[in-house]
Amino acid sequence: MTARSYEGVALCCPVTEPYVRRSEHGAAWFLARTLRRLLDSGGVAKHDVDGLCVSSFTLHPDTAVGFTQYVDLSPRLLEWLPMGGACGVIALRRAARAVQAGDAEIVACIAGDTANETSFRDLLANFSGFSRDAVYPYGAGGPNMSFAVIADAYMRATGATREDFGKLAVAQRANARRNPLALLRGELTLADYLAARPIAEPLHLFDCVMPCAGADGFLVMSEARARALGLPFLRVLGAIERHNAFPDDPVQLRGGWAMDRDALWAQAGIGPRDVDVVETYDDYPVISMLQFEGLDFCAEGDGPSFVRRHDFTIDGDVPHNTSGGQLSMGQAGAAGGYLGLVEAMRQLLGLADGRQVANARHALISGFGMINYDRGLCSAAAVLGRA
Amino acid sequence: MIRMQRCAACGATQYPPREVCRVCLADGLVWESADSLPARVVARTRLYHSNEPRFRSRLPLVCGLVRFETGPVAVCFLAETAAPGDAVLVRTGEDDLLEAE
Repeated sequence: MTARSYEGVALCCPVTEPYVRRSEHGAAWFLARTLRRLLDSGGVAKHDVDGLCVSSFTLHPDTAVGFTQYVDLSPRLLEWLPMGGACGVIALRRAARAVQAGDAEIVACIAGDTANETSFRDLLANFSGFSRDAVYPYGAGGPNMSFAVIADAYMRATGATREDFGKLAVAQRANARRNPLALLRGELTLADYLAARPIAEPLHLFDCVMPCAGADGFLVMSEARARALGLPFLRVLGAIERHNAFPDDPVQLRGGWAMDRDALWAQAGIGPRDVDVVETYDDYPVISMLQFEGLDFCAEGDGPSFVRRHDFTIDGDVPHNTSGGQLSMGQAGAAGGYLGLVEAMRQLLGLADGRQVANARHALISGFGMINYDRGLCSAAAVLGRA
Repeated sequence: MIRMQRCAACGATQYPPREVCRVCLADGLVWESADSLPARVVARTRLYHSNEPRFRSRLPLVCGLVRFETGPVAVCFLAETAAPGDAVLVRTGEDDLLEAE
């Protein structure tokens, strides 16, 4: 069955509560600040927001439910989306359908986390039941360990080299140097990348994101409402999600995109070559390569040659992770699942000061999340277009 | 400790442990030892960083994924010489640092 279009839905007001390395504030502070930014940016009153999507790891023990009382909001639609790197696209899907169905008129989508000395370790130790029982006791390597074995398998299967991963990391740093919101803006050369200390072979320091605090958000409403508010907006041309795809693969060399990419591009009415901006979930470069393959930018297993053939900087032929991505922005917990989406919105709305991709009309955003045991379970992607 | 579960209803084996069979959802599961079970190394890493102090003095640690002949995949420590593709026997115990070799 073909999914209905997202016609009539407007996506607007990308906002960011700037990332910081550590914070004394709680997650609710970051989420509330982001909500405030959305209200200011959209010119809407708090009580006009009747839908809310929230994602956060460190809001625990609270959820989106507690947050409504925290900020005195009374939405008639509430989504708690603990889907990590896929939560941005999934929030967009939930919000868009709610608006189409009339279940909400203005949906605020927010994701964010705090970071302090103990928050990251606490999160890892109890990330999931399977992880607690069957991963963490074997060295407590956290996501570095999980992605290291995926990277190891990927390199053996495809011939990918550290230079290939490094090319993506270096291009993203070059992009970050044009983004004042990026936490890591120092020059990074391929030699620097290759010489970095090992973390979990084959991963070295610049393959890994830096945990930080921060939040991102956006608004979803009808086109008519956006026009009435005078807000520039984007259209959702297509969007997909998939969970626990290919459970019998011995190691994750593909995510769920392979199951749904044809539906995505058919719904969008364009193909990968028509996209002007590509924002992948990049907690490690190898995962960006899985997304290039999974979303048909290249064939399965051809990620390395795709990377060798293209230039991923803002002025290159495949502008990729134009904000610097998580590798250079930092990973503010669940906001890592929003970062690519809000950056794509800024690029298409012409708001990417100093790092604007010329004539950006279409963007692909991909999300990937939740290493529950040995692989990421949530895959999502969206294609956005200028109105 | 790594222990297998076999479903009394459909015969599927699984790991990590669950309270129901992941295939048929029956809850009659029989525990089976994973000790000396044959497996194959799928991928490996050498950890230079751990989030737990108890492991830090033992770094670097070699660990990875092994796949049992019956299907399930386990995260475990690996012997220094165990490479992807190698057939191994899994040793289990209470020690955090037992290895597949």
